[in-house]
Amino acid sequence: MTSTLNSDETATNSVNFPQQNFSAQREVLSLEMQIETPENVVLTYQLAGPAQRYIAYMIDLAIRLAILFGAWMVINMVGIVLPGTAIGIFLVIMFLNTWGYYTISEGFFKGQSIGKHVCGLRVIRDGGYPITFWPALLRNLVRSADAIIFYGIGITTMLLTRRFQRLGDLVAGTVVIQERSLHLPRKPVILNKIQPLNKNDIGSFVPRDEVLSLIDEFMGRRHVLTYERGHALAGILANNLAQRLNYSGDPQKVKQYPMAFLASVYKTFSFTHPQEEDEFAVSSHPRKQTVEVSLE
Amino acid sequence: MNKHKFIQQRQPHWKQFEDFLMDVRRNSFARLPAEEISKYSQLLREVSNDLATIRSRGWGHDLISYLNDLVARGHNLFYGAPPANLAGVYHYLAVGFPQLFRANIGYFLTACLLFFLPLGISWYVVQNNPSLATRVIPEELMANFDLMYGEESPLNKEEEKITDEEDAFLSKESTFGDQRASMAGFYINHNVGIALQCFALGILLGIGTIYTLLFNGIFLGAVSGYIVSQGNGERFLSFVISHGSFELTAIAVAGGAGLMLGNALIHPGQRTRFQSLQVRGLEAVQIAGGAAVMLVVAALIEAFWSPSSIPNLVKYVVGSGLWILVFIYLGFAGLQADTQPLPVRKKERSKPTEVGFNGGRKS
Repeated sequence: MTSTLNSDETATNSVNFPQQNFSAQREVLSLEMQIETPENVVLTYQLAGPAQRYIAYMIDLAIRLAILFGAWMVINMVGIVLPGTAIGIFLVIMFLNTWGYYTISEGFFKGQSIGKHVCGLRVIRDGGYPITFWPALLRNLVRSADAIIFYGIGITTMLLTRRFQRLGDLVAGTVVIQERSLHLPRKPVILNKIQPLNKNDIGSFVPRDEVLSLIDEFMGRRHVLTYERGHALAGILANNLAQRLNYSGDPQKVKQYPMAFLASVYKTFSFTHPQEEDEFAVSSHPRKQTVEVSLE
Repeated sequence: MNKHKFIQQRQPHWKQFEDFLMDVRRNSFARLPAEEISKYSQLLREVSNDLATIRSRGWGHDLISYLNDLVARGHNLFYGAPPANLAGVYHYLAVGFPQLFRANIGYFLTACLLFFLPLGISWYVVQNNPSLATRVIPEELMANFDLMYGEESPLNKEEEKITDEEDAFLSKESTFGDQRASMAGFYINHNVGIALQCFALGILLGIGTIYTLLFNGIFLGAVSGYIVSQGNGERFLSFVISHGSFELTAIAVAGGAGLMLGNALIHPGQRTRFQSLQVRGLEAVQIAGGAAVMLVVAALIEAFWSPSSIPNLVKYVVGSGLWILVFIYLGFAGLQADTQPLPVRKKERSKPTEVGFNGGRKS
């Protein structure tokens, strides 16, 4: 119960008063970082935690070792002809590998080393801008200070700062974010078999858009939960809504089929004109089947 | 407006913007025609507007996060810095680095004090009392130095190898240049690494930098004192003078940059500590980058010029010339350039600015 209501509350709070997040920095530990763009839109980035970054680091470490090994093999062959030059080149490669691997990869490939790319991480400036050469160099030179005691210093500062920044990030003003893959928003759930509520059964209360969106998203994700759990969660909202609406229809419908009830509430209030409904019913034909089956 | 109607209306635009983002990822942003760019920058504003609309009306988290990511990527693209190019590198070396260096010369002078003073003291002490050298230098290294700069020194006979260790990996027929190349690699790897570390450790309130400077100063002083006390001073000085100009100065420069980092934390001034760290850090890293370039130059000189069998007199002349060159470069390069580097005037810089002004009058 609390979970649904809380999420609804926080959603409305952040929606109605986004500026609050800037005036008074939130104390809660959060994986979200918010910045404001020149278009006056607040953007949210998801920060990457220490564990993810550790995995990315291990991948990069493996790659760096592989580069050294590969270079050693090639150098050995060149060394037959020019032994001194070969060793010189190898040492330079070793230097670049130690001090330059991250700088080059992050500075010139949009903030992603190979390990970060694999893990879906990216380094950006904390203003939301892409990282450039100098900050990339700075954050990766300071890496050698972070790396003291097996990255003990880096991990400690990471845990002490709100944005999981190690010393190098703090100096260079960068954050590591997790990139989400773009996915088109799901088509709204279309419920052909569901009838809207009878206008005579309900009072004048109109649920807010947030509540309708909540129902929509809840039904879109109902496969995630077991049937019983989904049923129980839906029951809480259905009961509340039925009370607010002064629902005087079949009380069994609220008790026995809370999901179906929510769906009909959704249908009652989100489609004010019948023709809109038809347009959508046509556009998302394949969805119908699944909806019918699981809603029972 | 109804949520569904809104989505239906706007979705083609989102899709279009998404395709554009995918397209740019594959091709370069710079290759797009101008009208395309302005068209898509307008589309970015539209999508931003949609995001604000949807967020204020509470039309679902899925939709918000989708649009959020769309705008974030667009933002990343349109507000990115212009790509770096070779002209930028030249400008940095000719103007940006020396200017930044002079603007923060107080740190450099402090680093010089921390580096050259112990160097001089330990040189003096060890030269007069060579037995003390064992306290600083490991035994086998001392044996090496005797070999390097002694009568049998390869500085006299260039065709031979420098140390016994090198026999392991250098075959007999390797030529002078070839052998030198390996040493160049070694100097780059070793010296630049030390300088960069010296800079980076400055973030630990400057302690790491101070330690590195003191340690290297004492060590180098002891080595020099020991070698000179063994009667090999002539060979040693002629070897060291040329590349020392770039090398020793660059170590102090890198150390100064490290002190800048530490001082940004200790004396943040009007800013918060993190802000001050960011602002000064960006200057400091550009100074450290310059020091790294200087050290690469030093490594090349040290490998190819210093050990060659050129008369000592020529080496001394050229070496002094290089010292003057370094002085002129750091003191006067980029003085006339219009672009001023973010000068945050500080009290402790009163002395350095004098130097700068003098230079201005001369040039």
